[in-house]
Amino acid sequence: MKNDQVFTRGSERFFFAVLIITLMGFLEGCNDDDPKKEDTPELITKATLTFAPSGGGSTVTVTATDPDGEGVQDITVDSPINLATSTTYVLTIELINDLAQPSDPGYNITEEVEEEGDEHMFFFSWTNNVFADPAGNGNVDNRDDDVNYTGGLNSRDVNNRPLGLTTTWESAASTASGSFRVLLKHQPDLKSDTSDSDTGETDLDITFTINVQ
Amino acid sequence: MLSVALHISLQGYTQNLCDGVFRGQIQDDLSQPIVGAAIVLMPLQEGQASDSLGNFKIENLCPGKYQVRVQYVGYNDVEFEIQVDGTVSRVIHIKEAIKELNEVVITGHHDAAYTEHSNNFVQLDEKQLAESAGKSLGESLKEVSGVNTIQTGPGIFKPVIHGVHSQRVLILNYGIRQEGQQWGAEHAPEIDPFVASNVVVIKDASAIKFGTDALGGVIVVNPPELPTKAELGGTFNTILQSNGRSATASGMVEGGIKNHDGWGWRVQATGKRTGDFNTPDYVLTNTGIKELNFSASTGYHKEKKGFDIFFSHFQTTIGILKGTAIGNLDDLVTAMERDVPQYTSDFSYKISEPRQEASHNLLKLNGHILKDRGEWRLQYGFQNNNRKEFDIRIGDLSKIPAIDLRLNTHTLDGEWETLHSEKRTISLGINTMVQENKNIYGTQRIPFIPDFTSITAGIFGITKLYFNAWTVDLGARYDYRHYSVKGYDFKNTFYNTSFNFNNISATVGATVHLNERGTLNLNLSSAWRPPHVAELFSIGTHQSAAAIEYGLLLDDTTNEVMDINAVNFKTEQALKFVTTFQQTWSSIAFDVSPYVNYIFNYIYLRPVGITRNVRGTYPYFRYTQTDALFLGLDFTGTWHAGKYLKVIPKVSLLRASDVSNNDFLVFIPSNKYEVAVRYDKPAVSIFRNLYIESKTKYVAKQNRAPRVVTVREINEAQEQHTDPFNGDMSNFDFLLPPDGYWLWTVAAGASLKAKKVQYDFRIASENTLNQTYREYTNRFRYYADDLGRNIIFSLKCIF
Repeated sequence: MKNDQVFTRGSERFFFAVLIITLMGFLEGCNDDDPKKEDTPELITKATLTFAPSGGGSTVTVTATDPDGEGVQDITVDSPINLATSTTYVLTIELINDLAQPSDPGYNITEEVEEEGDEHMFFFSWTNNVFADPAGNGNVDNRDDDVNYTGGLNSRDVNNRPLGLTTTWESAASTASGSFRVLLKHQPDLKSDTSDSDTGETDLDITFTINVQ
Repeated sequence: MLSVALHISLQGYTQNLCDGVFRGQIQDDLSQPIVGAAIVLMPLQEGQASDSLGNFKIENLCPGKYQVRVQYVGYNDVEFEIQVDGTVSRVIHIKEAIKELNEVVITGHHDAAYTEHSNNFVQLDEKQLAESAGKSLGESLKEVSGVNTIQTGPGIFKPVIHGVHSQRVLILNYGIRQEGQQWGAEHAPEIDPFVASNVVVIKDASAIKFGTDALGGVIVVNPPELPTKAELGGTFNTILQSNGRSATASGMVEGGIKNHDGWGWRVQATGKRTGDFNTPDYVLTNTGIKELNFSASTGYHKEKKGFDIFFSHFQTTIGILKGTAIGNLDDLVTAMERDVPQYTSDFSYKISEPRQEASHNLLKLNGHILKDRGEWRLQYGFQNNNRKEFDIRIGDLSKIPAIDLRLNTHTLDGEWETLHSEKRTISLGINTMVQENKNIYGTQRIPFIPDFTSITAGIFGITKLYFNAWTVDLGARYDYRHYSVKGYDFKNTFYNTSFNFNNISATVGATVHLNERGTLNLNLSSAWRPPHVAELFSIGTHQSAAAIEYGLLLDDTTNEVMDINAVNFKTEQALKFVTTFQQTWSSIAFDVSPYVNYIFNYIYLRPVGITRNVRGTYPYFRYTQTDALFLGLDFTGTWHAGKYLKVIPKVSLLRASDVSNNDFLVFIPSNKYEVAVRYDKPAVSIFRNLYIESKTKYVAKQNRAPRVVTVREINEAQEQHTDPFNGDMSNFDFLLPPDGYWLWTVAAGASLKAKKVQYDFRIASENTLNQTYREYTNRFRYYADDLGRNIIFSLKCIF
């Protein structure tokens, strides 16, 4: 019995020792640092389409801006795409995150897409025959429809599949106006010779107004 | 606690022939005969069931010592020794397992809290837990009527009690409030069910001792008691399942210390590996699970004092169905219209993005000492919860988590309770909690929820009064919570703010024994909860949600974080009334619990509109408050249809409404009906506890669901620059609720006892008819069917 008493007292001390050590550890663990600001490389707040006439002439630039990223404000487009008739243009697409600083790695999203060209593909659709070439209404509805994935090194990916950061277009011979939709899909392990605009996740989807005049 | 009254009358004749008789009657603690209880004599393995008058008679026994075991489902087993020499007759009283819990729900140790009295609860005992071994805690709890789950695919089950979940259900793991990232509908509790000896679901808000948040109820994960004698024991479980080709192994070893009575220890570990699950028609690609858990405890227990140290580690990686990875509304349309989800490929154990990795560590120290004026208890808990969520992202970003959170929680609770008396008991206590939530830097995304520190303190008093057939319990508590929040808004600009909440909870309950066979429990409780930071500050899209969520404190148009005093915020408060009526007749027993839960200022995600960003169109939801009403009824019955045969019907009914807006709420479980037919035989040749069970479950269609606004309608309206909701701000869903469905489960099991080891075998088949169905509360129902047939084989060795 006596032995048991001693043992009990020992066990009590043991219990309190463990309790105190744990509490000390917990107080030490508390710190009050402010959280560090994250880079946001996936956030695209600005998409710029630059139509450069290959025969020289004035370049057409339109920009779609989403001022608040994930916020409730809608995207705005600064002007319609106003192309001259019967002109061949090389279209380059630039994706920017304006909420980041230009020096941040997350500022230029175009580079990300280019590096991962074998997982990305731009699809296009338009209305009212605004283009003489390609003909038709684009490849959003049907992948095999005509789009000219030519004009630059980033027109195609490493597997020579369409990528579309640079594309070539010839405007219609007569005046026309309609809409022009640019759709960027992210298709990791899914991009193939048959993958279409329903495949993968959407990274970008903007519809512009287009006028040929 | 086990009150076994034995009335012995020995009529001894000295005889050497094997003509001994053991006879008697089995009674419950109200001295009513029990029909169909099993009486087994060992080592003979000879058994019999008590007849319609509760009587039994085992003849032709040779003189000698026998071990008698009396078993009856729902009652505690009774074991004792008899000396047969002629005729031995006894009246054996067995005690209902649940009745015992009326007194003690949360067992910390052998002489636990008398005032922890709850009127309306259901227990999953060791046996029932063994029958759901291999499933997660949340899924196991679906066995309880009134409990459902919000499910994210086959791996993530969040318990729902009487229609409410997440922050409104308190989970106590080994007596400590489980603190993880409960706010997310796809965040399941990080608890290994193998650590529990039983799990109790309290369906009212009476358990106010543990703090705020128990608006819907409490789930109590009770540990087994530590051994106090130096005997080595343990169990080993292996479970194999065909669906997901999964294997689970769990082992436990426990013992005492020689010459140091009172000391005990236990170590336990569980490992689980599951590959892709499948529906009747296709594989659910990327739904595998990896889990590794372990725990260790030691403690010392004597009559008047005791303490325990417990540590547990839980770690899981869960794949999220790849076909749910969507970028915007258009992607959601195509995902919903596909027959087979995108990315579906052959079976694999591979887990890639999207996936979750969660770990939870718990360290608990507790001690108690019994003095002349009562018992004093102190417990400290430290929890470290880590959660990483990986999405399909651009470039190397898939390799880094999109959400990476660490939550550390310290709790310190003290309590004093009077000695158990015939007239009343009183318990007073204090709870404190310090919590720190941190976003681990490097996710390269604006954090979905901000960093925060919270300090919570509460005091409570509970008393229980006894008058003849009545037991009345009263309790009240006061809590204060301080939040200090630091985060980044939509522009990635830093903000910080702090605020406090405080409020009172109260409970009043009574139990009355109406007559010898009936009991009525009544409980009225009011509970509140401080809002979670996620409800106030969330911003962004969730894993596979195709919707943007905004917290309550974000301005409607500018998204700027507002001061809490500038918005009309009121804390959520519930008033819940639950009554349980239990009645037993000769061969029929049932309990029925109707309930009403009115939640003031109920916080939920309300669809508000659509917004466009460069990725396309998104519907957006804003956390909003309303008044909600939950009305329902749970029923469980048992009919002893034959000597060994039982029919067990279960019903859960629920009607939930958004009272302020005269609308329905989303994700409310539909009505469930279940009938189990079970054949239990205590002994057949060398087998014991033999059973065969057939369970048919019908889950009705949820007819009380919000209107449907299809994604197509939203898209078309957006193209035409009109409002898809026509100015109607009521709740909506993208799809109609799925149809009701039937599921049939069959199971059989038996025990085999070797010299020192007992083997329990179980084989079961779930969704036996391989039916194709979708469950309304499964968040994957937009994308894929639910699980096909699953054959389970389990073996448990007890030594």
